[in-house]
Amino acid sequence: MNDIFRELEKVTALQYDHHDLPKWLADPILMVARNPADYQGKEYLVEILVTQVREYDVYAEAGCCKWAYDHEDIKRTLRWLEE
Amino acid sequence: MAIYLDCNATTPVEPSVASMVVRFLEKDFGNAASPIHDYGVFALTAVEHARGQMAEVVRVRRDEVIFTSGATESNNLAILGLAEAGMKSGRRHLITTAIEHKSVLEPFDEMVRLGFEVQILPVQSDGRFDPQRLADALRPDTLLISTMQVNNETGVLQPLSEVGDILSNHAIWWHVDAAQGFGKEIEQLRHPRIDLISISGHKIYGPKGVGALIARKHDRQFPPLRPLMFGGGQEQGLRPGTLPVPLIAGLGEAAKLTVRNHNERIAKCRAFRKKVLATFSALGAEQNGAEDCTLPHVLNVSLPGINSEQAIKALKNVIALSSTSACTSHTHTPSHVLTAMGLSSKKVEQSIRLSWCHLTPEVDWPEVETILRRLRR
Repeated sequence: MNDIFRELEKVTALQYDHHDLPKWLADPILMVARNPADYQGKEYLVEILVTQVREYDVYAEAGCCKWAYDHEDIKRTLRWLEE
Repeated sequence: MAIYLDCNATTPVEPSVASMVVRFLEKDFGNAASPIHDYGVFALTAVEHARGQMAEVVRVRRDEVIFTSGATESNNLAILGLAEAGMKSGRRHLITTAIEHKSVLEPFDEMVRLGFEVQILPVQSDGRFDPQRLADALRPDTLLISTMQVNNETGVLQPLSEVGDILSNHAIWWHVDAAQGFGKEIEQLRHPRIDLISISGHKIYGPKGVGALIARKHDRQFPPLRPLMFGGGQEQGLRPGTLPVPLIAGLGEAAKLTVRNHNERIAKCRAFRKKVLATFSALGAEQNGAEDCTLPHVLNVSLPGINSEQAIKALKNVIALSSTSACTSHTHTPSHVLTAMGLSSKKVEQSIRLSWCHLTPEVDWPEVETILRRLRR
């Protein structure tokens, strides 16, 4: 079960350290990643979050098609995780 | 209840896949095409997540995955969808093989009716087509080649990487029907030369009624497919209709597991295979298809002195198996696959197909052997 949370921590650190993921977004994601007990039963949403962080792109909404995820997508998933 | 050994017809559903389907049927039932509230947004998020899970298996981009109702529809879209491109360009030559599924062969019949010429490649006794014959068949007006990845009746893996090399300098569309191999033989389908890949959900422990067509883009352009249906513009205009979110989410989960659990599944199927081979070897069965090219979860054999219908009936309380593909068994026509491999009609009538998976429980093989020996008396 904890594999997906470890993956979330890893991919968030990578995107924050080497790419464009801002601190204000990375912090709440890391809170999820480091507290798996609080999100039991919500692994599917965590899995979605991993993909969104991995494919995070500041300019995801630019252009004709949306084939990356932006901060709005990630904020929404974080909200669903808290519901 | 007999042990199910007909996984090439359809596989059992993985428990986590079933849970996913139920979740999107009962609780998260929004329409992905209506993302104006959380119900719709979550449905759309689930669809895009599943698209990514499918894409990851074959290492394509998410926007190269088109959801369909299954491999039959994907095959039809890949073949008939190129008809207009062929007519406009004057390229009316098509190539396929004699052992394709009916959902490939019959769309090709329709292409013939539309004025195309179809060349059907023979197969060898090992169950594989000869890539050199394919190379020899290429013409300047060849529009499309359609070759399956794994045969549904024999489990024999086809020489796709050789085809990829042959086609590297040809501007010919290449479609692969991967209904039986997607998620089972993973590396082959990652060959970047393959333009179109058909996938079925219910062969990978997913739900029935859902599948996908992978359409690799070149210079950001899809192959020149035309949709077969109209009304709605979903799936980038290639497959209209409200997306079946529960099935798609289940398909995505099933695709994820094909990669995550690949080695474990293969190991279980190989261990099971040893017992199947030992049993049928003791009965003097002859394998149809080369063992070294056959995926570990399938065995097609002819049993000397035993009619397959009789064998299946006699075994019905112990194991559930089939004599040919599920899609043609109701017609009682001899297997076109085994016939194309050069088997005599007698051997075809003696052939049975056993196909299992990592979820298959133990079988009482001594009992199977006893029942079959009794039939010979």
